[in-house]
Amino acid sequence: MKPRVGIYGLTSCAGDQLALLNCEEELLAIVAAVDLRSFVMAQSNPDETELDVAFVEGAVAQLRDLRLLQDIRQRTKLLVAIGTCATWGGIPALTGENEVAGAKRRVYGGEIKAKAGFFENLPPSPLSRHVKVDLAVPGCPIEAEQLLQGLASLLHGDLPRLPKFPVCAECKMKENTCLLVKDGAACLGPLTVAGCGARCPGLNRPCMGCRGPSDEANFAAEFRRLAELGHDEETIRRRLRTFAAPVAASEA
Amino acid sequence: MERISVAHLARVEGHGGIEVTFSGNRVVDVNFEIFEGSRFFEPLLVGRSWDEVPGIVCRVCAICSSGHYVTALKAVEDALGLEVSAQTEALRELLFLGQMIESHALHLFCLAVPDFLGYSGAIPLAADHPHEVRLGLSLKKLGNDLQTAIGGRPIHPVNAIVGGFGRLPDREVLRGLSRRLREALGQAPAVVALFAGLKVPNHSESPAVYVALEPEGRDFSFFGRRISASTGEVFDVHDYRKVTNEAVVGHSHAKHSRLNGRPYMVGSLARLHHWGDRLTPQAQAVARQIGLTLPTENIMYNNHAQAVELIWSLERAADLIDGLLAAGLTEEPPVRVTWSSPRTGTAATEVPRGTLYHSYDFDAQGRVAAADVITPTAQNLANVEKDLRAAAERLAGKPEAELVSNFELIVRAYDPCISCSVHLIRLARRNLVK
Repeated sequence: MKPRVGIYGLTSCAGDQLALLNCEEELLAIVAAVDLRSFVMAQSNPDETELDVAFVEGAVAQLRDLRLLQDIRQRTKLLVAIGTCATWGGIPALTGENEVAGAKRRVYGGEIKAKAGFFENLPPSPLSRHVKVDLAVPGCPIEAEQLLQGLASLLHGDLPRLPKFPVCAECKMKENTCLLVKDGAACLGPLTVAGCGARCPGLNRPCMGCRGPSDEANFAAEFRRLAELGHDEETIRRRLRTFAAPVAASEA
Repeated sequence: MERISVAHLARVEGHGGIEVTFSGNRVVDVNFEIFEGSRFFEPLLVGRSWDEVPGIVCRVCAICSSGHYVTALKAVEDALGLEVSAQTEALRELLFLGQMIESHALHLFCLAVPDFLGYSGAIPLAADHPHEVRLGLSLKKLGNDLQTAIGGRPIHPVNAIVGGFGRLPDREVLRGLSRRLREALGQAPAVVALFAGLKVPNHSESPAVYVALEPEGRDFSFFGRRISASTGEVFDVHDYRKVTNEAVVGHSHAKHSRLNGRPYMVGSLARLHHWGDRLTPQAQAVARQIGLTLPTENIMYNNHAQAVELIWSLERAADLIDGLLAAGLTEEPPVRVTWSSPRTGTAATEVPRGTLYHSYDFDAQGRVAAADVITPTAQNLANVEKDLRAAAERLAGKPEAELVSNFELIVRAYDPCISCSVHLIRLARRNLVK
């Protein structure tokens, strides 16, 4: 029997669902290999019943997201977080615990005459804060290669192995010039988990940390090194927070 | 009172629904509900350095990420009074064309055409019409490969920077893309055959106001510095708020826009309404062959306008690459940026769904003091509701299934991008004193 699959988006840019649709050459083979029950971004008439695997993109940023996530968790055997928002909170989580009310007031004004269910914002957070996550595939967006390898593993009844080492390692393997050493750039490659092939340093662009931290990320050492190179503390903190604010805030 | 609702629209990017309330055959209320979560992009940009802005703000939307990224770059350059080289402008246009090709191919072949042919999506469509779906996917991939060559990846580009690029694209890759673009142009007859054969429902609901940027040169273009409305008014992009006038409504996390109190439409149909006569002969021929006659007030023809822009973009991209290769790509030294006083920068571009505005106030150190991003879908929301109301009044009393499918058809014709539309509007100001 083909595995029953659902693909969902919470609060996000839809980039991880789009990354799947961007596998143009593999897409028809993928949908033939699974029993695709729900993928509202691409298909009408979703069938919201029991699932073998649910892929969930986005951060939990409103009551509606939380209820949908809890409903999916109850119905699925495996829950896979796709993308940095689902894994770490991502860009939405830059609006922190104490800032939602103020941001809402600044954006929408003081009094909002709203229908029930609207404007019920929560501090944006990753999926694992609310439910058990069986596998998290980070990336902003996820890399097609990791997505396809992950799907292949799941189809064979296994969870994929994802790199735990930092982007720095991939950068060295590609023999890129180190931007941190050469230019003193605020490159987050030493902290960020690999899987992108060190794309940005390969284009002479410092790593922004869009994949979130690696397991062994040493925030303190990076902070010290960037400070020695003349970057001010506020800048370093701000850059560290960009894609993984909930974890970076406590580390840095 | 009877409510007809579509709880969660499928085959659109983001989360939205439709609710229409009837009292007998009288339409009481029409709401295009936007319940995508708010991400408060404008406030979270405050305090960020000028060079961080494009990489953060492109995360508003994956499909239009190249558009947000380049528009932010242009707004920063506007603040600095910086003019980029012709080579940089051409490469940015290529990035834009890649986005246009990808987005239009995705919408037309995977999201919209299934409606016309009675399928629930591209996957069941592929079972009966494999050639059409494969054509759509191959065009979509070509658009993505173009974005990857210039921007580093198809979603959330990284290679474009203020004043230029991190690394110039590989010449061999560009040559290969030019060849594939010409081959894809050879597929134009297949695109024509598909669209000329579609039965187009008439949803000419009410007089429309069309708004689009005026191309800078004589040719059709997605870049411009003046805003043109079909009412005859023309605005400088720095005065964009006179066009967009945004207001909060209670059933939507995205604000609504009105020009002189009237809803207006942005997007492919609006662009061709204004500047269709500047298209290349081949694109104009395609427009005629698929039955797109302008002006039209039938929103369903937005799909056809996208098909025409898709063909034009393939041709334009191939010509641009050939021009760049003939001139020889030259390495340009990185631009040195210095800030000495507070500045404001504004830019607008035409992205797949219409005009996109970015405006930033920077402090003396180049940090964002205020940000404003206005997306095409947010501008279109009031017009969508106007069309839905007219359709509801005309179709009142028809069976619910017929009402629902007509409402969905209208909304999808706009190719709404709901993630984009929900972010926030009012100027966010914070004192930046440490």
